[in-house]
Amino acid sequence: MAVAKTLEAPIEVYRFEPGKDAKPRYDRYTLTVEPHTPVLTALLRIRTELDPSLTLRYSCRSSICGSCAMQINSKSRLACQTPIGPEIEKHGRLVVEPMRNQPVLRDLVVDQASFWRHYDRIEPHLKLDPRHPMPEGKPNPMTPEEVARFYETPRCIACAACYSACPAVEADVDFPGPMALAKLYRFVVDPRDQAHQDRLVRIQTDGLWLCLRCHLCTEACPKDVRPSERIRDLKELAIAAQGGTEPGSRHAIGFKENIRERGQLQEMKLVRQSDGVGGMLAQAPQGLRLWRKKPEIAKKPRAIEDLDQLEALYRELDAPPKDGT
Amino acid sequence: MRRHEVVVVGAGLAGQRAALAAVEAGRDVAVVSKLHPLRSHSGAAQGGINAAVGAEDSVDTHIYDTVKGSDYLGDQDAIEFFCREAGPTVVEMEHFGTIFSRAPDGSLARRPFGGAGFPRTIYAADRTGLALLQAIWERLATEATRFTLYQEWDLTRIVVRDGKVQGIVAFDRKNGRFEGIAAPAVVIATGPSGRIYARTTNAHSCTGDGVATAYEAGALLKDMEFVQFHPTALPDSGILITEGARGEGGILKNSKGERFMSKYAPHVLDLASRDVVSRAIVTEVSEGNGFEGGFVHLELMHLGKERIESRLQEICDFCRNFAGVDPVTQPIPVYPAAHYMMGGIGTNAKGEASVPGLFAAGEAACVSIHGANRLGGNSLLETLVFGKQAGLAAAAFAAQATGRPTVTDSDVEASQAPIRAMMARDHGEDPAQLRAEMQATMERYVGIYRNDADMLEGIKRIRALKQRYANVRIVDHSQVYNLNLTDALEVGHMLELAEVIVVGAYARTESRGAHSRIDYPKRDDARWMRHTLARKGPEGPELSYSPVAYTRWEPKERVY
Repeated sequence: MAVAKTLEAPIEVYRFEPGKDAKPRYDRYTLTVEPHTPVLTALLRIRTELDPSLTLRYSCRSSICGSCAMQINSKSRLACQTPIGPEIEKHGRLVVEPMRNQPVLRDLVVDQASFWRHYDRIEPHLKLDPRHPMPEGKPNPMTPEEVARFYETPRCIACAACYSACPAVEADVDFPGPMALAKLYRFVVDPRDQAHQDRLVRIQTDGLWLCLRCHLCTEACPKDVRPSERIRDLKELAIAAQGGTEPGSRHAIGFKENIRERGQLQEMKLVRQSDGVGGMLAQAPQGLRLWRKKPEIAKKPRAIEDLDQLEALYRELDAPPKDGT
Repeated sequence: MRRHEVVVVGAGLAGQRAALAAVEAGRDVAVVSKLHPLRSHSGAAQGGINAAVGAEDSVDTHIYDTVKGSDYLGDQDAIEFFCREAGPTVVEMEHFGTIFSRAPDGSLARRPFGGAGFPRTIYAADRTGLALLQAIWERLATEATRFTLYQEWDLTRIVVRDGKVQGIVAFDRKNGRFEGIAAPAVVIATGPSGRIYARTTNAHSCTGDGVATAYEAGALLKDMEFVQFHPTALPDSGILITEGARGEGGILKNSKGERFMSKYAPHVLDLASRDVVSRAIVTEVSEGNGFEGGFVHLELMHLGKERIESRLQEICDFCRNFAGVDPVTQPIPVYPAAHYMMGGIGTNAKGEASVPGLFAAGEAACVSIHGANRLGGNSLLETLVFGKQAGLAAAAFAAQATGRPTVTDSDVEASQAPIRAMMARDHGEDPAQLRAEMQATMERYVGIYRNDADMLEGIKRIRALKQRYANVRIVDHSQVYNLNLTDALEVGHMLELAEVIVVGAYARTESRGAHSRIDYPKRDDARWMRHTLARKGPEGPELSYSPVAYTRWEPKERVY
């Protein structure tokens, strides 16, 4: 192995003990490290060489236990999987903070109760129907193709990096968060689970449509579970399961058809498409207020030129997927 | 004081399976763990779980392979029970929801593993432990109303009075509060203690707390000198590269480009038993056939990108992230690292330890089915088979227990007083320093190859560290998530176990399985086909010995 050159890494670490410290502070440590040294190794060296009172969660140091997710230069990452060199190179500094969207217990340790509560709420276990028992004394047969449908969801290590990165969690504590939804997806594609329909119906009013589609969870996920893509898959399955009758799915379908017509969003029409006439009436006061500020929302937008090209795009997207996609 | 009927300490596969059995038996169960159950080290197991379910395979072959792998130190009655339970155990885990890899016909896929006569290792890509851990937790969590989870609690004491278990003392990391949890039955399932060694595949949390605590409470430890070194770990970090990599066709090469295993195991080459392969690698490196930095190469490149990336997905990530090599195009540098403790709290096949009311299962226990060397794929199976047995036995014991076990204020104080003293010191030993010296000592003097003089030195050094530990100091005085306190407790636990390992190893004047003595290179069945038992005495471990249980397999020379 090549001899790596070392660097002097300045590391700023968030320190805070609620109830004891008036406010958080950042302690600055300097360590000589190799560029590929993981942030976790540096934090453990701080603990053994400089300050044993620094506290954090960690265990496996090989990205399989999910303990050491934290904010590293403002991104939700596993400390064990993040080398220092590229961080310093890119940002000129290394700032380590606790995960977001979860209250700090002390230093880098957060209270994960809400994260686990959302995980429990999706009922993360096989739900069986007594009329269709498991084969006695034998495993269920499952083809490699059926196993492949799980995509990467079994790789999830529940590190909560996605939960920390998610702006929808920040905005709404009732949003289940990316991990719980990806986990739900794992059960609705499991041929052994016998509650697919119930799960898909329930999640529609339990937060599925609150996802903002920003993909920050997918960017944060250290195991490439790609939660936002699993949420998208869930939405498709949910629409199929309920025939697109639930407001969230009607909004998604309405959005698609609405734009297809003129190439631009017709906002007034979208309200009717999503929520029906009753919904329109219920939203009328808010609509009026908006209309006073921005009268153009009531107008039908002009159709874009080359609408036929858009139609061709739609037809392509609606076509059944080709092999391997 | 809290009160339950069964307290399970440790929430990996063994602990959770024990808890599930005890819950199903109708007992009020507590699960105490220093990690969230899904963060347990069981999740790091990669390669697979053995069960002789293939048409060409048989339970008898699995038994024979395990007996031979154990170098005839495994108890054959327990091994027979263990291998018979394999099929039903795997089926149960599949029914709980484990996502196993599949063969084209829809059956459970199997891969070859070291020391096994047939491909019998059922797997979930290279994250079998994680797949099983998720499934058992998903199943156990459906019983959430029937057990209490003490998450991120550290065990400090098993209380034994009048010759019977009374419960435990533990503290809650969130607020530093020490509490007694009374119960007539306690199951220890705290897993590995590999952090006793400098280079280990084990997680940082694998510090043998339950085993050490049981030893301090008077339980007998069994065969602690048998430490398995996994042949293929990344040299710098000790991160495990699964045996499944060789099962899939990976080969080991030295710096001369030779496939050196042909010298050491001409019949099965790279898929010899772990002790054999680890010794081969150490021998190659010490004879100058290693690469600069002291390692050999594990080559997967010839398997092709598709196979490597689908069957060994996590390994690809580990190599790329932690060693800077891409196994699709480059060899992986590997060297052996401490991996598994064959020894542990001595139990029978029901999980019963030597103290009434105390039970153990998984890596923390020693039944013994692994004897002097464990076969790959047998440890995941062990956690589930004997986790269930220990849970059932603990539940039955609790149901019939008479009297009311109590953990008194003075029991709690007995755990807390030394901590206060450690915090009150102005000067004292740094737990991290003691840990580093212990790890280096064990690596150097009680490693893969052992001899009389080294081990005598090891005993001396570990005892000196134990003396210094009496003056250990905790500088962090916070009540909240005080890891400095956890460090101090853990190193105390590990020093106890390190002493048992080296004293047992020094006494055993033969080579068997993972215990290789340069000065006694042969197995000595006449004298040493027996288990080492260690009891804590005032001057250190007091050793005694017990016979190995025989059924059908006469000891033979072990050749692969």
